[in-house]
Amino acid sequence: MVNVMKGVLVECDPAMKQFLLHLDETLALGRKFILQDLDETHVFISSDIVETLQARVDDLMDQFSFPVHDKGL
Amino acid sequence: MSESSKSKSSSSTNPSPTLQCKDLHEYLKSRSPQFLETLYNYPTICLAVYRELPELARHFVIRLLFVEQPVPQAVVASWVTQTHAKEQHKACEALSELSVWQEAPIPGGLPGWMLSQSFKKNLKVALLGGGRPWSMSSSLEPDGKARDVSFLDAYALERWECVLHYMVGSTQTEGISADAVRILLQAGLMNRDAEDGTAVITRAGFQFLLLSTAKQVWLFLQHYLHTAEKRSLSAAECLAFLYQLSFSTLGKDYSTEGMSNNMLVFLQHLREFGLVYQRKRKAGRFYPTRLALNITCVKDGVAPLQTAASSGYIIAETNYRVYAYTTSALQVALLGLFTELVYRFPNVVVGVLTRESVRAALRGGISAQQIITYLEQHSHPQMLKSDQGGIRSSSSLPPTVLDQIRLWESERNRFTYTEGVVYNQFLSQAEFNVLRDYGRSSGALVWAADRTRTMVVARAAHDDVKRYWKRYSKAT
Repeated sequence: MVNVMKGVLVECDPAMKQFLLHLDETLALGRKFILQDLDETHVFISSDIVETLQARVDDLMDQFSFPVHDKGL
Repeated sequence: MSESSKSKSSSSTNPSPTLQCKDLHEYLKSRSPQFLETLYNYPTICLAVYRELPELARHFVIRLLFVEQPVPQAVVASWVTQTHAKEQHKACEALSELSVWQEAPIPGGLPGWMLSQSFKKNLKVALLGGGRPWSMSSSLEPDGKARDVSFLDAYALERWECVLHYMVGSTQTEGISADAVRILLQAGLMNRDAEDGTAVITRAGFQFLLLSTAKQVWLFLQHYLHTAEKRSLSAAECLAFLYQLSFSTLGKDYSTEGMSNNMLVFLQHLREFGLVYQRKRKAGRFYPTRLALNITCVKDGVAPLQTAASSGYIIAETNYRVYAYTTSALQVALLGLFTELVYRFPNVVVGVLTRESVRAALRGGISAQQIITYLEQHSHPQMLKSDQGGIRSSSSLPPTVLDQIRLWESERNRFTYTEGVVYNQFLSQAEFNVLRDYGRSSGALVWAADRTRTMVVARAAHDDVKRYWKRYSKAT
């Protein structure tokens, strides 16, 4: 017998994958969303979470970027 | 281990299509043969189509113009030596695509070519004269307030910039009608904002702004013609009038006498976009501007409208500061799409490329490459002269700025998403191998791991793989 699941395959670098696992474990998005952990750079997640996830990653990026430009005001 | 899929759907990229600029040939090709048939009732269109045909096809047309019966295809083929069969094929294809000729059987069963009746008749009119005189050519009293070419150029530029300016900063609706806004929206160049309903520029819109003026006008008019039917204007009639305009002389005035009511409405629209100049709505005369004349030469753009943008005005420094030496509100607004403006002087604007400002542009669907292209295209001559402090670079922009803009874009795309279906818990390695190999050969497989007996198949191909699996399980 074969088991079949629908969802979205995510490909990313290992660091970002750890971040996804972290979000999943801490229920940061309100629930578990990883359907299957495939390998170092691939995870399989439920498709309805993609938008929330994208926003969350954008937030993360904002957190560790600093304005380095001299506006000369 | 992992298979790279051809159909990667990354949801972070904007789905709006890239902009295509068709020339007349491609535009007509995409229309129905019935529409072409009506178009060929206008001598001006026939002449314009004839001029745009490949050289060999023009020869064919002239040879066939006075032949009143179908000519065997073999005879047409014999006009060209074997060494140029490729050109001949291309010419025949162009003529068929535009319905200039049709296949017609010859008694005896041979296939033959026959020029379309209306095309034949009206091309003769265009080349040899006759038919009704062009309505707008009727003689006029000399204009008491005649306008010269430089005035018309300035007028056309000002009107067209009004449209472009609306696209970048849609807060001011001055000088642009609701009709024009509707065309921009329907063309996908602008989008209604979901929240407050104001029109905002799309990715295609930004590409539009980077085109040459002649291309912009032609693209805009294509969309206008698409929606012309809704305005109870006939697209064929409008197109014929446009081409009539393109055959007119710059700086000469033409009469509106004898024009139908529909065409007078169309003329008012053209006046709004700066394709014609009229002093008053009821002046009874109009001057075509360079914008209208250039419609026919979209490809090579002969005698382009001189804009301030034609000489570069942007200096970008390694510290991400951008100096733009311009007085045009349009150019300032364009720059404001992806920079944070800091100072504004009468002839200079100073801005900074920040992560926030560039990200805002990226979110709006503008790509990093588009921003870079824009900055490069309008680089100040001084930028082109200066060497990059010993760093070899093909671009006129500082390498730091170039890389950083690209990095800001790629940090938004750290994930690639592929809609798919995962298959696991196979009972045997053999079963897994069979399905994996099938997926691989049909191109459906996205990812697979032998050790865990897990594979991912693209969503679209799921049904196909399922059927294969059922057949396979039944057979064994």
